[in-house]
Amino acid sequence: MQLWGIELEREILEVDVLIVGGGPAGLSAAYRIAKINQERGGDPLAVAVVEKATDAGGHMLSGAVLDPSALYELIPECESLGAPLETPVSEDQIYFLTERLKIPFPFTPPPLRNHGNFVVSLNRFVKWLTDQVEAIGVDVFHGFSGSELLYEKDRVVGVRTGDRGVDRNGHHKSTFEPGVDIRAKVTILADGVRGNLTKTLLRKFSLDRGSIPQVYAIGIKELWELPEDRVGPGTVIHTLGYPLEFREFGGGFIYALPNGTISVGFVAGLDYRDPLFDPHVAFQKFKQHPLVAELLSGGQMIRYGAKALPEGGWHAIPKCYVDGALVIGDAAGFLNSMRLKGIHLAMRSGICAAETAYDAVKAEDVSGNRLSQYAHLVESGPIKRELHPVRNVHQSFASGLVPGLLYSGLSLVTGGWWFRDPMPGHFGHVRMQKLSSRVDQARSKRTSGVLVDRKLTFDKLTSVHYSGTRHVEDQPSHLHVLDTDICRTKCFEEYGNPCTRFCPANVYEMIDVSQGDSKRLQINASNCVHCKTCDIMDPYQIIDWVPPEGGGGPRYEGL
Amino acid sequence: MLLVVAEQRSGSLNPVTLETIAAAQTLQQPICVAVVGSHVGDVALELSSCDVSEVLTIDDVALEPYTSDGFVVALSQVVEQERPEMVLFPHTYQTRDFAPALASRLKSSLIADCVGVTSKDGKLLLSRPMFQGKFVAEVVPVGTAPHFVSFQIGAFRADSLKRVTNAVKTREISVSVDPSAIRQRPEDPFKEAKQAVDLTQAERIVAVGRGIKGEEHLPLAQDLAKALGGELAASRPICDSGWLPMDRQVGSSGQTVAPTLYLALGISGAIQHLVGMKGSRTIVAINKDADAPIFEVADYGIVGDLFEIVPALVAALGD
Repeated sequence: MQLWGIELEREILEVDVLIVGGGPAGLSAAYRIAKINQERGGDPLAVAVVEKATDAGGHMLSGAVLDPSALYELIPECESLGAPLETPVSEDQIYFLTERLKIPFPFTPPPLRNHGNFVVSLNRFVKWLTDQVEAIGVDVFHGFSGSELLYEKDRVVGVRTGDRGVDRNGHHKSTFEPGVDIRAKVTILADGVRGNLTKTLLRKFSLDRGSIPQVYAIGIKELWELPEDRVGPGTVIHTLGYPLEFREFGGGFIYALPNGTISVGFVAGLDYRDPLFDPHVAFQKFKQHPLVAELLSGGQMIRYGAKALPEGGWHAIPKCYVDGALVIGDAAGFLNSMRLKGIHLAMRSGICAAETAYDAVKAEDVSGNRLSQYAHLVESGPIKRELHPVRNVHQSFASGLVPGLLYSGLSLVTGGWWFRDPMPGHFGHVRMQKLSSRVDQARSKRTSGVLVDRKLTFDKLTSVHYSGTRHVEDQPSHLHVLDTDICRTKCFEEYGNPCTRFCPANVYEMIDVSQGDSKRLQINASNCVHCKTCDIMDPYQIIDWVPPEGGGGPRYEGL
Repeated sequence: MLLVVAEQRSGSLNPVTLETIAAAQTLQQPICVAVVGSHVGDVALELSSCDVSEVLTIDDVALEPYTSDGFVVALSQVVEQERPEMVLFPHTYQTRDFAPALASRLKSSLIADCVGVTSKDGKLLLSRPMFQGKFVAEVVPVGTAPHFVSFQIGAFRADSLKRVTNAVKTREISVSVDPSAIRQRPEDPFKEAKQAVDLTQAERIVAVGRGIKGEEHLPLAQDLAKALGGELAASRPICDSGWLPMDRQVGSSGQTVAPTLYLALGISGAIQHLVGMKGSRTIVAINKDADAPIFEVADYGIVGDLFEIVPALVAALGD
């Protein structure tokens, strides 16, 4: 490539195994390979991790209650190494909420019993895990996003990182630096829920041909500081019901950390029908429920964040191996939606991928055929053992909360059996109904704004501030809307521009055009918290999330 | 003794230096102001009207243009000769470039981007924002002097600077700077935009937000800025739409400003904007929405239509 007439060489870095994404899955894979290097001796494999966040764990957000089983397997001495397993779960509570009341469940269903688990900050946990991975000799490159996969014929041979220093019109700024080609024998994609590279890989090879559609949810959470410990550290509270309706999937969570810090959050299925539904508004309403409002009164919100999560379960996991590449973690959909846990499964999938990649590189055969060992490890091990019995659970909730709960209860006895297995599923975005088909004014009031007092409830823009999100302003928008005409014409008519509601960071706005009465789409890309909801939920599937210049995005701390 | 390091370029003083001197004056200790460069006499003369003990000039051809190596070598000699208790800088880009190296060369650390300083029981207490201004940490320098501190631009007000009628004395300090030891070869200052504006230096700012509705209405705000002798600035949506260049953006992703007068036209006052201007001395807000958060920080608020009010203001100022 040329710049000012000077030939610019794109830098090339060669490694044996490249891992894209420094989350629990990617870091577990990196750690495991480095550990096998030590255990088996011989020529060690060169391993590198690229991560788009500037700081370790900066884009990590989860509830989170951690099942430590995979961690103990990966790093048996984790406790002496100071793993931030903040607080053992001391108590589980589940409530069904109505607008004013809380109705405790008579018993805690077994999948939600958290004895032996820990309330953690995923962001702190990943920071620690990154330290362990670096200490064992793996290079973790922070601030680099994977922008495209490199192929030779149909074999994945690495990843090109994003260019830096490109202005909003696509011109090179004085600070321009071309992305680096990182070439690898095996590339492990751990780019998270709806990962941008995994998305292109799935498309190119139709890897999801044999699976049911992946469905997602969006999780929104805040970190609060309370004047005192109002609930014991380690208390885990889950809620169902209000402000959702019976046929909507989701619920609230409250996890108590030590020193009066608590995580408060809300998960809403991204398969809701009402285009006027707004997950951020639902979260504010959840906080206004007496159960939560009393807990939070006098406290202070200190952090905010949002992230989508894959809920489809076992049957929605695509084929996860091709020539030269493997897909792990949330990118593949390893999450147990019945237990509301995925971190340990992400880690386990990383361990399986590490073993597969190590053997393949040593055998000098990185074909898909050889890498299918990964699928074998997943199917013969604890991942399938855990996910298979709950394989139809999320799909059963598609019919509503009550059928979902009944089926979930039944599945505990039947091992997940159902008349039709897999139980059919649908993409979440196709379930959204058009406005013309529903004219119920009362319902639209349900999803409209809440009074924002900036103490308990916040507007999205204020929320975004507390995510620490920053992007270089002068860069091309990393949210590609393929046809913005649809926004002001068809989408405005049919769905009332749901992007302005499902985005939890005020990225999408329809603003008045100064002349005439039409509106136009305004994309505030620099507000983006990288949750991927727009890419998932847009009813026309014309929003494409691509990584912004490396280093941009939220700066989560303690989430 | 407190040593304030002035910032100058080709003989013109960066006025944020005056804020740092004002900060130093609050501590009731003798103050020296050091001017580093080549042919800095005029800058020293300008500074000699400040209420300080003396102005030190460090004049050497090797120190112009600015290089971090040159400044580190020169200033470390000055600090070793003069033995100040504290060395203070305005938190400019130049300071960010050399001050950390200077501090570590002298086996001390730099407490950067402070917004306040007090002395309590003979101890210095510095405050600096954390987590994007969410918290303010109080930092006590430990270890042996000198301590190195830089102050956020706008944290202290240049107009609170105490001046004297008779110029204070100026003393020249000679340092030895070996030009061959300077590893940087600076080129001419690079300006990304042609008419780059430094909002941080503006005394009065007229800022526009979405309430201005369209690019074609900008001249209205421009007229008011002109009538007030101030600069035009904007909130993010305006610059994002390309109606004004990005160097006129105020807020968390733009400039942080603290003018004497900040006039916000049609700006709702999202927290991202407020963090960039809440240090302004007098804030006047004009907005149609009486509940807009901008009114929470405004000293004077007008709930009304800016398209009526601004022309009236321009007319009144023109009289």
